[in-house]
Amino acid sequence: MEQVTTQASEPYVIEMLHITKEFPGIKANDDITLQLKRGEIHALLGENGAGKSTLMSVLFGMYQPEAGEIRKDGKVVQIKDPNVATELGIGMVHQHFKLVECFTVLDNIILGIEPNTLGFLKKADARAKVLELSKHYGLQVDPDAKVEDISVGMQQRTEILKMLFRDNEILIFDEPTAVLTPQEITELMQIMNNLKKEGKSILFISHKLNEIMEVADRCTVLRKGKYIGTVNIADTTKEELSRMMVGRNVNFHVQKEEAKIGEAVLKVRNMTVASKVHKNNAVKHVSFDVHAGEILCIAGIDGNGQTELVHGITGLEPLVSGSITMCGMDISKTSIRKRSVMGMSHIPEDRHKHGLVLDYTLEDNLILQRYFTPEFTNKAGFLRRKNIRSYANRLIEQYDIRSGQGPITLARSMSGGNQQKAIVAREIDKNPELLVAVQPTRGLDVGAIEYIHSQLVAQRDAGKAVLLISLELDEVMDVPDRILVMYEGEIVGELDPKNTTQEELGLYMAGAKKDEVTVE
Amino acid sequence: MLQILEQYTLLLQYTLIFSSVLLLVALGGCFSEHSGVINLGLEGIMVIGALGGALFMYYFQDKLTGFPMIALTVLTSVACGVLYSALLGVACINFKADQTIVGTALNMLGTAAATVIVKAVNLARDGKPSDELIYRLGRSSFIKGLNFGETNFEFNWFMAIAVVMLIVAYVVLYKTKFGLRLMSCGEHPQAAASVGISVYKMRWSGVLISGAYGGLGGICYIMAGGGTWHFSYGVAGFGFLSLAVMIFGQWKPGKIALAALLFGVFRALSNVNGSISLLSSLNLPPTVYNMLPYIVSLIVLAFTSKKSRAPKAEGIPYDKGQR
Amino acid sequence: MKLLKNKTFQSLISSLICIILGVLVGYIVLLIINAEGAGKAMITILKNFFVYPNAKMRMEYFGTVLVKMAPLLMCSLSVLFAYKTGLFNIGAAGQYCIGICACLFTALYLHWSWPLCLLSAVAAGALFGFIVGVLKSYRNVNEVISGIMLNWIALYITNSVLSLVKEPSSPYTYKLQGARGKAALLPQLGFVNQIFNNNKYITIAVPIAIAVAIIIWVVLEKTKFGYELKATGFNRNAAKYCGMAEKRNAILTLVIAGALAGLGASFYYQSGIEQWECTATSVPGMGFNGIAATFLGGLNPIGTIFSSYFLQHIKEGGTHIDTMKYSAQISDLISSVIIYLCGFVLFIKYMMNKITVKSEERKKERLAAAASAVNSNEKKGGDR
Repeated sequence: MEQVTTQASEPYVIEMLHITKEFPGIKANDDITLQLKRGEIHALLGENGAGKSTLMSVLFGMYQPEAGEIRKDGKVVQIKDPNVATELGIGMVHQHFKLVECFTVLDNIILGIEPNTLGFLKKADARAKVLELSKHYGLQVDPDAKVEDISVGMQQRTEILKMLFRDNEILIFDEPTAVLTPQEITELMQIMNNLKKEGKSILFISHKLNEIMEVADRCTVLRKGKYIGTVNIADTTKEELSRMMVGRNVNFHVQKEEAKIGEAVLKVRNMTVASKVHKNNAVKHVSFDVHAGEILCIAGIDGNGQTELVHGITGLEPLVSGSITMCGMDISKTSIRKRSVMGMSHIPEDRHKHGLVLDYTLEDNLILQRYFTPEFTNKAGFLRRKNIRSYANRLIEQYDIRSGQGPITLARSMSGGNQQKAIVAREIDKNPELLVAVQPTRGLDVGAIEYIHSQLVAQRDAGKAVLLISLELDEVMDVPDRILVMYEGEIVGELDPKNTTQEELGLYMAGAKKDEVTVE
Repeated sequence: MLQILEQYTLLLQYTLIFSSVLLLVALGGCFSEHSGVINLGLEGIMVIGALGGALFMYYFQDKLTGFPMIALTVLTSVACGVLYSALLGVACINFKADQTIVGTALNMLGTAAATVIVKAVNLARDGKPSDELIYRLGRSSFIKGLNFGETNFEFNWFMAIAVVMLIVAYVVLYKTKFGLRLMSCGEHPQAAASVGISVYKMRWSGVLISGAYGGLGGICYIMAGGGTWHFSYGVAGFGFLSLAVMIFGQWKPGKIALAALLFGVFRALSNVNGSISLLSSLNLPPTVYNMLPYIVSLIVLAFTSKKSRAPKAEGIPYDKGQR
Repeated sequence: MKLLKNKTFQSLISSLICIILGVLVGYIVLLIINAEGAGKAMITILKNFFVYPNAKMRMEYFGTVLVKMAPLLMCSLSVLFAYKTGLFNIGAAGQYCIGICACLFTALYLHWSWPLCLLSAVAAGALFGFIVGVLKSYRNVNEVISGIMLNWIALYITNSVLSLVKEPSSPYTYKLQGARGKAALLPQLGFVNQIFNNNKYITIAVPIAIAVAIIIWVVLEKTKFGYELKATGFNRNAAKYCGMAEKRNAILTLVIAGALAGLGASFYYQSGIEQWECTATSVPGMGFNGIAATFLGGLNPIGTIFSSYFLQHIKEGGTHIDTMKYSAQISDLISSVIIYLCGFVLFIKYMMNKITVKSEERKKERLAAAASAVNSNEKKGGDR
C-alpha cells in the first residue's frame, strides 16, 4: 500500500486518507485517498456507482466513514455533520439542488446561517451581502424571486452563492453540468476559474472527460468504490483517463447498420400539453413523425417539455389540443391501456415512480402490462399463477435479469440495473410497434448502458419505431438515426447525427439557434 | 329592532368563540404540517388539553380567580397538549410509524382516557360513575359580560388569546430564523439537513407546538359550551374541522383566520338558529344546522383540495440515510 | 430463526406484542385509579364470559360476543379492503351508522323483509363510500377528513330519520321483535342457537361474516381485481402507467368498503339485540374499533377474524368489571393503545428482519470459515 505522509511544505488544504464506507451489502468506498491542493481545480472522475458521491458525502459530514481520516491543513478533523463541514469552510453544490422551491433565492441562501438578532431575521443585511457577492463573482441572481420560478442556471448560481455566503474556501461541485446547456457549461467553467483565481479550492465531480480536460488541474479516478490513481491533467490524455475509469477500452460508438426506414408509425400533429408546474403549456403545438425502422431522438435540456411530451403520447396526461395517430388510428383520446394493447410500449423516465411496483415480486412486475390477458387471467377473473411463473422464468433467462430469488424476489431488493432490465424486458417482449424509451440508461453503469442501447437498435432493425428521449449528449449523438431538439416546449431543430457536431446541437438546445421544422 | 340586534349579538358571540377554537387548532395543525408531520391526532390532543384545563379548574375553582386562574388553566391545558402530542412525535418522527394510524389511535385514546379519568375522579368524590366534570365557578373567571346599551355580549378571554396566538404564529413562521428552518423541513428536509439543520429537532418542535395550540383549542372548545362537559362526547370532530380550516386557509395564518371565521359562523348557527327570526322563519329542522359545518367543509374541501399548497414533504417520514 | 423470517409469523408476534403492551398499559391505569382490585378487574376483562360459573350461561354470553363480533369483523374488513388500495377508510364508522339508519327505517317504517332491509343497509353504506371515493379521485380531498365529516353527517341524518320510528316515551327506536319489524329479523340457526343456550340473537350473520372474510382474502390474493387493487395501493403512479383505471378502482374500493360496513350494521341491528338511541351524540365506535381490528389482524382478512373476536371479547369483558370502582371504557382505552402500538409494527418487523439477517451472516461466516478450513486441509493433502 502506498504510504501517505504529510509534510508541512505540501500545500494540501484537504486530505481524505484511506476512507472506507460500507452500506449493507456494498462497500461504496474502499480505502480511498484524495488530496486537494490549495487553489486548484481537482476533478473526481468515475462512472455511476463508482463511489464519488459517497466520498463527497463523507467529506461533507453526511456519512461517517468506517475507516480512514480527514485532514484540514494537515490537522486531523472529525466531520460529524454538515455544520462542522461549514465551519471548516467546506461547501457543496449537490447534483440535485438542495433548494426549497417555494422559498425565495435570498431565503435559500441564508437558510442555516441566518443573520439574526434574538432569533428575528435581519434580511436587509443578508440581502446587501448577497448582492455584493453576486456582483463580485459575476453570479447574476434575483434575490426576491422564488426558486420554483427561476431557470436551472440561476438555481445553480444560487447554490454557488450559498457557499460564498458562508465564506467557504473548499467548494465541491457534484456533477454540475448535467442539467446545463453547452453554453451554460462554458459559463460555469469561467466561474470556476474565477473562483480559483480568488484562492478557492475546487473539487469537481464528473464523468465527462471533455470538461475535466478543459478545466481541471489534477484528476483522481475511482472505479467500483476503489482508488485507481491521481494524475496531472497536463500529462494525460482523454483515452488514458477513460481507461482508468472503466478498466478497459470502451467502445464509444454504438454499432449499427444503415436504417431501413418504413411507414410512419406515430404521427403527432399540433400537440399541446399543459404543464403541472406552471400555468403555461409545457408542450406547444408540436408535430413530428416516427417511422418504422428508425430511432428518433428527442434531445434537449431537462425540463423543456420532454416529460410532458411523453405523457401526452402515452396517455398519462390529456392533450389540450392536437392529435396523435398510431398505425393509422387516431389515439388522441384513447386510454393508456388501449394504447398499450395497440402496440405502444413505454420505458418510463422514473423507474421507481412509474415503472415498477417495488413491493411486488419480480414476476408480478413482469406481467404488469399483460396481467389481464387470457394467458394470465382466466375467465372467472382468477390469476393463472403457473403461467405467470413460467413466463417470468423465460424473461429472466432471455434478458439476463439477475436477482436474489428469481421470480419471487421483491423488486425493491434488486439493483438499479436489473430493475431497468426487467422493465426493458417487459416492454420489448410485448412486441410493440412503437417503443417510447425515456432516459433508459439513467444512472446505469457502462455494461448496462451498452446492453440497453443494443436492445434499442435491435428493435429498430426488427422494423419497429423507436422514440428515444435523452439528456446525455453522447447518447444523442450515437444511438439515433434522426434528432429533434426541444426547447421551451417547441421543436426547434431537426438534425442528422452523422452531419452535426455537439456544438451545433448545443446551440439548438440552448435556444440560440432555431429552424422551422415542418411535417407534411 | 332591538330584538334583532340581540339575536345577532348572540350569533356574533358564538361565532367568535367557535372561530377562536378553530383558529387555535388550525394554527396547531399548520405548525405540525409546516415541519412535515400530518397531525391527524388533533382531536385527541384537544380532548386531553381540555381535560387538563377542566381538572385544574375543578380542583382550584374555589381557591383562585381572575388572572391567576386564567393563566394557570391555560398553562395546564398547553402542558397536557404538549405532553400528549409527544406520543405522536415519538411514533411518527423517531419510529417512522404511519402518521394516519397513530393520529387515529390518539383520537380514540384521548376520548377513552378522558372518560376513564373523569369517571375515576367522580367515583372518588361521590361514588357516582359520571363522565361529567363541573367547573362553572372556574369558568366565570374567563367571562366578562359587556353591555352595549340594551344588548349583552359575553366576552370570553379566549377570544383575545386566539388573536394573540395568531399574531405569535405569524411572527414565528415568517419573521424568525426558527420559522424559516421549520418550513424548510416540511418542504425539502434533505435541503434543510444539507445546511446543518436537524430535521428531527424541527419536526419535534412542530409537533409539540401543535400540541400546545391543540390543547389550548380544546379547553376553549369545552368552555364555549358552558360550565360542565361530558368527556365521553369528545370534541365533536372539531380537530378535523380545524384541519379543513387549515387546508382552506392554504397553510397561511392570515388566511386561516378568515377561514376560521367563516366556519365559525356556520357552527354558531346550530346554537342560535332557533332564536334568530330570519332563520326560524325558514322552518328547517335543527338537524340541518347541526350538519351545516360538516357539509360546508366537505364542499369547501372539494373546491380547494385540487390545487393545494400543502408542504411538499408532509407525511413522509424523514430518514437520515436517505438522500 | 427460519420461523422469524416467515411473514405470517412476524405479523403474529407483532400483534401479540401489541396486545401484551396494551393490556399492560390498561393494568397500570387500573392500578393508578384504584390499586386494590386492579388485578381482579384486569382478569375479569380478559376472562369475560368465563366469569360465569354456569356452563350454560358461559355459552350464552360467548354467543353474544360472537353476535357483536360479526359487525366488528365487517367494519374491520371495510377498513382493510380500502387500506390495501392505499386508502384509509375512517369513514367506516359513518358508513356503518348510515347502514343502521337504512335497515331500521326500512324495517320499522316500511316493514320490509330482512333481505331487503339488509340490502338497503348495504346500499346506504356503499353510497357514503362512493361520496368519499369521488371526492378523493376527482377532487383530491383527503379521505380521512371527508370520512370524518361524513361520519357526523351520517349521525345527524340517522338521528332525525329514526326519530320517525321512535318509542313515544324513550329516545330509542321500536324493538325489532315487535309486530312492526318482525319481518326484518335475520334468520336464526336452529340447533346452533341451542348450543348457545338458546341465545336468540345468534343468526346467519355470524357464519356469513366469517365467510365474507374468506371471500375478501380470495379476492385480494387470487384474482386480477386484487392484483390491481394492491398495485394501486403500493404505487398509484405505476398503476396509472400500466393502464389500470386507478381512479375508478379507488371509487370502487370505497363503494365495496362502504357496503361491507353497511352490511355490518345490518348484521348487528337486524339481530334485534340493540335499539338505536335517537339522541346519540357520536357515531357508534364499531367503525373505529374496526381500524384497531384491521391492524391488529396484521392486515390479513383471516387474521382479522381473530383480532375482531379478541377486541370484542375484552370490550364485553369491560362490562363485567365493578363499575363502582372502574369505568367500562377501560377496554376502549386498551384497544386504542393497541392501535397506537400497531403504528410500530413496521419497526418491530424491521427489528426481526435485522436479527435474522445478522444470524444468517454469522452462519455464512461460520460456513465460509469451515469451507476454507476444509480447503486448506485438502491442499495439505494434495501437497503430500
